[in-house]
Amino acid sequence: MKNTALIAFLGLMLSVLYACANTNSIARVHPEEVKGLPRCAECHTDQWTALNHQAQDFYLKHKFYAAQQRAACTTCHKESFCVECHAHKEEIKPNDKYKDRPELSLPHRGDYLSRHRVDGRINPVSCLKCHGRQNNERCKTCHR
Amino acid sequence: MKIQKKTTGAARPCALKIMGSILFSCSLLVFGQTAANATSVSGDSLTILRMRENTQNDFLLPIYEYLHLSVTDVGSQGTTSVEIGGWGRQDLADRSTDQHTEGDIQYGFLSYRANRNNLQLNAGRQFVIEGVATERVDGLYLRSDLAAGFTAAAYVGNPVVTEPNFDGGELIYGGRVAHTLPKYYSIGLSLLRNETDGEGLREEQGIDLWLHPMQQIDITGRSTYNSLSSGWMEHAYTASVTPMSTVNVSATFQQVNYEDYFYHVTTSALSLTNGILVPGEEMWNIGGSVGYTGVKNLAITGEYNHYEYEIAGSADYFGLLASYTTPTALTTGASFHRMDGSSGPLSYYQYRVWATQKFGAADVTLDFFDVDFDRGINGRENTYSLAAAAGYDFSQNLRVAADVDYLRSTDFDHELRGLIKVSYAFGFGKEGQ
Repeated sequence: MKNTALIAFLGLMLSVLYACANTNSIARVHPEEVKGLPRCAECHTDQWTALNHQAQDFYLKHKFYAAQQRAACTTCHKESFCVECHAHKEEIKPNDKYKDRPELSLPHRGDYLSRHRVDGRINPVSCLKCHGRQNNERCKTCHR
Repeated sequence: MKIQKKTTGAARPCALKIMGSILFSCSLLVFGQTAANATSVSGDSLTILRMRENTQNDFLLPIYEYLHLSVTDVGSQGTTSVEIGGWGRQDLADRSTDQHTEGDIQYGFLSYRANRNNLQLNAGRQFVIEGVATERVDGLYLRSDLAAGFTAAAYVGNPVVTEPNFDGGELIYGGRVAHTLPKYYSIGLSLLRNETDGEGLREEQGIDLWLHPMQQIDITGRSTYNSLSSGWMEHAYTASVTPMSTVNVSATFQQVNYEDYFYHVTTSALSLTNGILVPGEEMWNIGGSVGYTGVKNLAITGEYNHYEYEIAGSADYFGLLASYTTPTALTTGASFHRMDGSSGPLSYYQYRVWATQKFGAADVTLDFFDVDFDRGINGRENTYSLAAAAGYDFSQNLRVAADVDYLRSTDFDHELRGLIKVSYAFGFGKEGQ
């Protein structure tokens, strides 16, 4: 009985908070066509200036932006864009798909099978997000 | 390499059937309203034919089809869409095993986005990114703005994980509450729980922040706590300063406790019980980078990372990258990196040079990657790869490209791989174009 009342109270509170929010949603589609890697500061003067895709650290920081405000990403990127790298069960490495786009910051360029023996020991943390619970069938070939 | 037998945690027939039924029903609803609302269909197809040999010198000729489809219906109060993506593969050469066909639904969900309050509801297979969660889920996701700058998000479903070694669990749920002052900061609290029969496999809480007190400064990061192991998994923060439009300076800090961070993975390679990772290890990573774009068409980056360990020694990774891009035809770049580990054979020099030249609708690419290990792996100190690619844009929607990749690695004396791909984008309706 107490739990039901608590859930009902929380539901009511959330409904009130939702009704009082009254914000405009982020544009679902970016109003201007964007070509290439954007420097958002060319048009924006608010927090979106940080999303400079040409900055050398954007690749490192995009996970934080996506985890906080993914709607901003989806104004330009469809779901299919994310799964190019963030795949569930993938057999082709992103850089193998895009040998004709060498300028892209895609992981595992070159002969990574050799290099992963070193990188995996120096910083195994970087492996976990993509291979800890997904995309790990190949790992089993050697790591049984 | 032969592909091993796979078991996938989320490929539960009942869950997929339910998800398929929901998506099918909702698709009918969306298609049924075309007369009343603006419905658009867009998609892309990527067909890839690979040619290579495995370790037993068997010739493999797998053909892949990646298909992404998006159906969007714009209403007066919000937008309903169906997003579906997946791939299938068949090996045209090797049909000796039952693994010559494979496929996966990468995502497939129905989504509603309201015009007010950033309200979003997704149902189906989706990639949830909320605070500590970076998870693929077969389930529900709800997010909305609340009053006074607060936002809330919640999700629940089956975890979509691959399970070659360990169980990935049956249920995953969590959420995030955040407060945002748009021009200055966003700070969030999030949690995630993954369980089987009520027993917790993962239980994580986190605090994330995004500070931009002024236009030139941007600080992002997250601290994550594992309440099952009662320890901090990770603190990871990056601060960027842009003192002028042509210079970007970035500093990173990361601290990871292996015992808590690698608490439950489904991969034996990253398990704390396989002898590769030391359970009590603690890693500190401090680094930074400087990017300079002051010379027209030229971008230069210098980066440095120092790794310090509680049990193992230390390591440094540093390097320089430069790229030159002309507005019309040529893009070229070069990089040098040094990995310098103090223990064992964990050191190498890495060199890369690449260039892409456009000739109207055609383009040609060369990419050379060389690595010199201080101490040989499998008796080999030098490895390299050379990739040559060519592509042709038949139209804005249709592109055909092919590449040949030659490798000399620590595992293969000579390896030659080929790939042909055809990509085609299509669409109908206002947004589909």
